Amino acid sequence: MSEQTPGNHNQNGEGAGAGTMKPGYHNTDGQGIAGHGSFFQSTDLSKEDAVKATDWVRKHVDRRTIDLGDRMDDVREHMYELEKDGQIIIHRIEDQHEPISVNTLFGWEKKVPTKQLWHHKSCGQCGNIPGYPTSLLWFMNKFGFEPGKDYLDETDQTSCTAWNYHGSGIGNVESLAAVFLRNFHQSYVSGKQHGHELGHFFPLVHCGTSFGNYKEIRKYLVESAELREKVTKILGKLGRLVDGKLVIPEEIIHYSEWVHVMRNRIASELQTIDVSNIRTTAHVACHYYKMVHEDAVYDPSVLGGNRTAIITSTAQALGAQVIDYSTWYDCCGFGFRHIISEREFTRSFTMDRKIRVAREEANADVMLANDTGCVTTMDKNQWIGKAHNQNFQIPIMAEVQFAALACGADPFKIVQLQWHASPCEDLVEKMGMSWSEAKKTFQEYLKEVEAGNIEYLYNPELAYGGKV
Amino acid sequence: MATYAEMQQIFDDIRGDFRYDHELNGCLNCGICTATCPSAQFYDYSPREIVQLLWTENVEQIYDAMQEKIWACAQCMTCAARCPFKNSPGGLVAIMREVAIKHEMQSAKDVLRPFGRVMLKLITTGNQLSPDMIQPDHFPDWGPNIQKVEGDLRILRKAIPVKTLQTVETAWEVSLKTSVEMYTIWEMTGVLKSLELMDENLFDVIEDFIDEKREDYEDWLEEQEEEDDE
Repeated sequence: MSEQTPGNHNQNGEGAGAGTMKPGYHNTDGQGIAGHGSFFQSTDLSKEDAVKATDWVRKHVDRRTIDLGDRMDDVREHMYELEKDGQIIIHRIEDQHEPISVNTLFGWEKKVPTKQLWHHKSCGQCGNIPGYPTSLLWFMNKFGFEPGKDYLDETDQTSCTAWNYHGSGIGNVESLAAVFLRNFHQSYVSGKQHGHELGHFFPLVHCGTSFGNYKEIRKYLVESAELREKVTKILGKLGRLVDGKLVIPEEIIHYSEWVHVMRNRIASELQTIDVSNIRTTAHVACHYYKMVHEDAVYDPSVLGGNRTAIITSTAQALGAQVIDYSTWYDCCGFGFRHIISEREFTRSFTMDRKIRVAREEANADVMLANDTGCVTTMDKNQWIGKAHNQNFQIPIMAEVQFAALACGADPFKIVQLQWHASPCEDLVEKMGMSWSEAKKTFQEYLKEVEAGNIEYLYNPELAYGGKV
Repeated sequence: MATYAEMQQIFDDIRGDFRYDHELNGCLNCGICTATCPSAQFYDYSPREIVQLLWTENVEQIYDAMQEKIWACAQCMTCAARCPFKNSPGGLVAIMREVAIKHEMQSAKDVLRPFGRVMLKLITTGNQLSPDMIQPDHFPDWGPNIQKVEGDLRILRKAIPVKTLQTVETAWEVSLKTSVEMYTIWEMTGVLKSLELMDENLFDVIEDFIDEKREDYEDWLEEQEEEDDE
């Protein structure tokens, strides 16, 4: 064994050998020239060769694909093994769901179903920002989707309960897993009462926290036989097993991924308003891309592939200006418990780290988000800023609401901006619509509603399992 | 103040959670977690400190951190996305909160008391928040412009063109059968027990509510059977 010095410490390494490595070169595989430190030597390549070599490296070494072997497991592979062993049933994404493939953080493929979707609602959105789900359903109708066949919105579902868990610590992996499996079993069987086969409707998760939570729970379920055994007893008692097995979806799909894969169709087939004068900023939900981050969607053509493509891709497809700001990665300040009972943190953080920055650096016309808590936090906490001379505001909404506006949806009836506290009227006006006229029309409609003349996006009976 | 043996038990419970080895893999003290942490900017809280305390098995200071610090975490998981060791300080905090509840720590009871309204809603309805909770009198700091159209909440909700959303007391309409299934989950996974440890009065209210809903469901089933017989 030769002495280990900076100049030769790898000369006995695997792959090294006579003729493949010169003394003094730090090299483990006997090829090329590498290393830093005192032993570094210039390659003396010509400029052209240096460019060629660098291009080769760029092509072959993507920092997201290196060193994954021991560090990152694709949970789906383990799911397929469990299914093969007869332990679980995978709710598959099939051709009938008309999936579109996208890439995730490490370049893995993720199939996003575009049809036959079971809307898994968000308690925060439905309770506070109903324009989220209404805009989404409106788009599906615009694409000619048939309610009860191409999508289903029904009452047989609970929230994921993860807002409470992250806020209070009451709950546990077992309860979260049981809720996940109960809801997704319902999605799997929901088509039966409408005359379809099992697995007809694939779950589309509206909430960012549900999305992150379900993916974490799916991982634990796949990894832990003990957890599977415990929840199988619960699901059995509920009558929520299929052939005695748990049903787990092949992919967990967030609504904003549906918007992402449909963005070009939205822009080319449905857009009626030019939004090239609109300065947009994006706030992507932490629980969309920071939990089980290997599953978030990335696209080399959006933000250089360095940040998740969600939201930005839609703003770009619509032709809006996308303006960067320095606190893009920051959380909104929601905090789960904080927005309820420690609001001074929530409002201070959102004003100092999001609203102020988006206003001062980007002079944004709108901040687009893709989750419940983020819109609530950033939308509702601007007025109180006046107490600290923070006299600035920005309209806040989901990207699907902005897209619906760009496609001519009614700001009140469909986009439901009446529930927002931030100055959405400024954005609507800048897009060329009259806020006051739209509001007047809506107030007239409220009289119709009071008289029982209600407009629906789908036949209400479908929500209760009624036939099409 | 807990005895050393009690503090050791608390640490053993944290370490015994099957997620523990997922969430803690080592620590270089680089502090990138704290640098990106929203709560670290406003509270005496550092995810790096939490990881270090657990990594060094400092049971006394872990116990101290569980009094207040763990409740500062916003659960955004930015720390987890950033950590070069693939630690999840936020995930560790979630485990510590569960253990704080299990051990009936007074600090947990104090922190969670104002959150009771949300827990009541969630446990009984399966929805976290409802339109009737998001009203100006509950959130005066959200300002006078909390909604852009004034009017009766029920009518405004009926103007949402989606049937399941035309609700006031829940975010969406949850079927009775679904709620009853959820109560079974709460019971079988020890969630109701945790709630009883934290707030006995709230637990009593919830238990009464659940009993009532179950009776309603039994009545509904009987009605269905009678209809089928006819």
